Amino acid sequence: MMPLLSIHSVHKTYRLGRVPVPVLHGVSLSVEPGEFIAILGASGSGKSTLLHLMGGLDRPDAEPRGRIEFQGRDVTTMASGELDGYRNNAIGFVFQFYHLLPEFTVTRNVLLGAMIRHGVLAYMGRRADLHSRAKELLEKVGLSHRLTHRPQELSGGERQRVAIARALMNDPPLLLADEPTGNLDHETGGKIMDSLLALRRERKLTLVVVTHDAEIARRADRVVRLLDGRVA
Amino acid sequence: MYQLALTYRYLFSKVMPLLAAVGVALCTLMVLVTWSVMSGFLGMLINTGRTLVGDVSVGWPGAGFAYYDELIVDLEKDPLVEAACPMIETFGSITPPDARPRGVLIRGVEGASYARVTQFADTLWWKPVDEPLPKDKARMDPRLDGLGKAAWSEIYKNGLSLTRPDPRTGAAMPAIVPGIHVTGLNRRYIEGYYKPLLIERRQSTGKSEWIDAFLPLDPDLPVVVTVFPIDSMGRPYEAYSRNLPVANEFQSGVYEFDQSIVLMNIDSLQEMLKMKEGLRVVDAPAAPSAQPHGESFAGAPPPATVRDPARVTNVLVKGRGDMSDPARARALRERVQEIYDRFAARHNGEVPSAADIEFVTWEEQNATFINAVRTERTLLLVLFMIISFTAVLLVLAIFWAMVREKTQDIGVLRSLGAGRGGVAWLWVCYGLAIGLVGSTVGLIGSYLIITNINPIHDWLGKQLGLVIWDPKVYYFTVIPNRVEPLDAGVVFVCGILACGLGAFIPALRAAWMNPVAALRNE
Repeated sequence: MMPLLSIHSVHKTYRLGRVPVPVLHGVSLSVEPGEFIAILGASGSGKSTLLHLMGGLDRPDAEPRGRIEFQGRDVTTMASGELDGYRNNAIGFVFQFYHLLPEFTVTRNVLLGAMIRHGVLAYMGRRADLHSRAKELLEKVGLSHRLTHRPQELSGGERQRVAIARALMNDPPLLLADEPTGNLDHETGGKIMDSLLALRRERKLTLVVVTHDAEIARRADRVVRLLDGRVA
Repeated sequence: MYQLALTYRYLFSKVMPLLAAVGVALCTLMVLVTWSVMSGFLGMLINTGRTLVGDVSVGWPGAGFAYYDELIVDLEKDPLVEAACPMIETFGSITPPDARPRGVLIRGVEGASYARVTQFADTLWWKPVDEPLPKDKARMDPRLDGLGKAAWSEIYKNGLSLTRPDPRTGAAMPAIVPGIHVTGLNRRYIEGYYKPLLIERRQSTGKSEWIDAFLPLDPDLPVVVTVFPIDSMGRPYEAYSRNLPVANEFQSGVYEFDQSIVLMNIDSLQEMLKMKEGLRVVDAPAAPSAQPHGESFAGAPPPATVRDPARVTNVLVKGRGDMSDPARARALRERVQEIYDRFAARHNGEVPSAADIEFVTWEEQNATFINAVRTERTLLLVLFMIISFTAVLLVLAIFWAMVREKTQDIGVLRSLGAGRGGVAWLWVCYGLAIGLVGSTVGLIGSYLIITNINPIHDWLGKQLGLVIWDPKVYYFTVIPNRVEPLDAGVVFVCGILACGLGAFIPALRAAWMNPVAALRNE
């Protein structure tokens, strides 16, 4: 079976002023459909960088050239607009610090991906369907009573649930979570992971989670360890 | 879609963009109020500038041209021409009763025909009035009562005919109608009316008394008019002075006219300037070598003379219909030129050719002050637009700060699939929205101010003692205001576009932000 995402010898170097700072050194990885992978590693090992490259938020080094293929299509050679579409349709991101827009209500935050996907007329045409889907997702993460609240009125756990619902709004096959419980207490973090895994089962999602948490790693199908920018 | 939703939220959830909108509103308001007042002022000047010059003038300054009656008949036969009249224009001086001479432009006209071609009759100031001026709430205008209607009517009639009845015989004597500021003996009040000043008059006994210098009424207050005649060949004669009474005074609405022009009866001026029909010596005999007792040489031949017809320097033409459109006035000028061509062909060598003579429309005649005000209006607008450019910089600065503040949001949008163009458009949309709100508020505010500018001005005057548009300085009693919908539309759209422009650079910055760096921004 074709992997959902395959990474072949990817390098990534950042620049601090004129000083090159290599972060990834030829990372290769394959993610099968429906798989739950936990990426573990010390701070600065390149976990988040790898996640950003997988999600098309950043591009790997051109030399030496590696490849990131999603369902057989090379993400690294996609044009900018194509890459935007890839992020919008194929990927759902969940961040450690939730990154909800404070001006929007919970429902609008969830709808954001759909607003980006559709133009004004198309959005207005599907408004009812999209709102009902957003509501359904919020019900699934246990926030049906918070639809019109603003993010600042929610607890950390609730915010992260909104972020999960937002990531799933466009029904992406791959969910990338960057330390989703890193900012939460142990109990809340556990509940968040429960929600994520329940959604994964229900939607047959592929899940890649960057974490320091051994408990999360224990629940994953596979653990990938990064050490100094290499898969250990 | 997200651009509209976010723009709406950003607009009403932050104080800074609302402050920017207030800045835009003030700039829009400032430009629109200035533009409308200056346009009103210009419109008023253009209209009032036409009151004493007709629509087209045929002119040969200095010596003047002959057979003008024939030209007037020709002109009045044309369907484009409603009326025409002769005029003499010359420089001279007047010495009012306060014995302070001043240089003036003297225009000799025939009252009735001049009133047909121009709005001379309406410009005569001293006449019976029933309603006070708009700002004269206390009814202080002397024309409202005082002399009585009959006396004011008499003075008005005198003005129309440019004559005054002789106090002893009752016969009409030639008189002058100076602009109301020419003599310097009328005081203009803030409400817009005039009152004569008091002047000191020395009596035969050696004592002096203070009297009202109301020249159109007092028979003992003549004005000395001095002109400098030249003959038909342009040769100067000696200056000619004459005492003339004042029949009335005019107020055209253009200060330059009202303080420098004196109208007088054309016959009298022709006489003073030696422009009446008469004999001119062309070949004088040689002077005898010696004649005892100053007796004339009986055998000398009489001097050779020619008959010079009467001359004027101008013929003023009034077109049929509305000539406020400069293009129509120019068309009339072309027609007048054709008529003059034929007239000059009939009098070959006797009158200046059409190529030499001046044909000017009212607009060209008043070009100096119309263009000056036009230039002032443009200059003011440019200055205010430069000031308004600060709105662009204000939006730029606010957006620069907001893009910095919203860096993580930009990262989130990019992570959810928003493209660079979409993110840039979000900020430009936001700028345009601020422009729309600001310009709309500014437009409504300026409309309210412009339509109520006079009550507002009066209120400021009463409450704070502020008189911004002093009628003594600006020469209008009511602040002129004219809102051109097209101009307002241009300012409105410019306000919106200026904000879009101000948002453009921060929008580019947002668009080219690295999404990973944006998400990590704290």
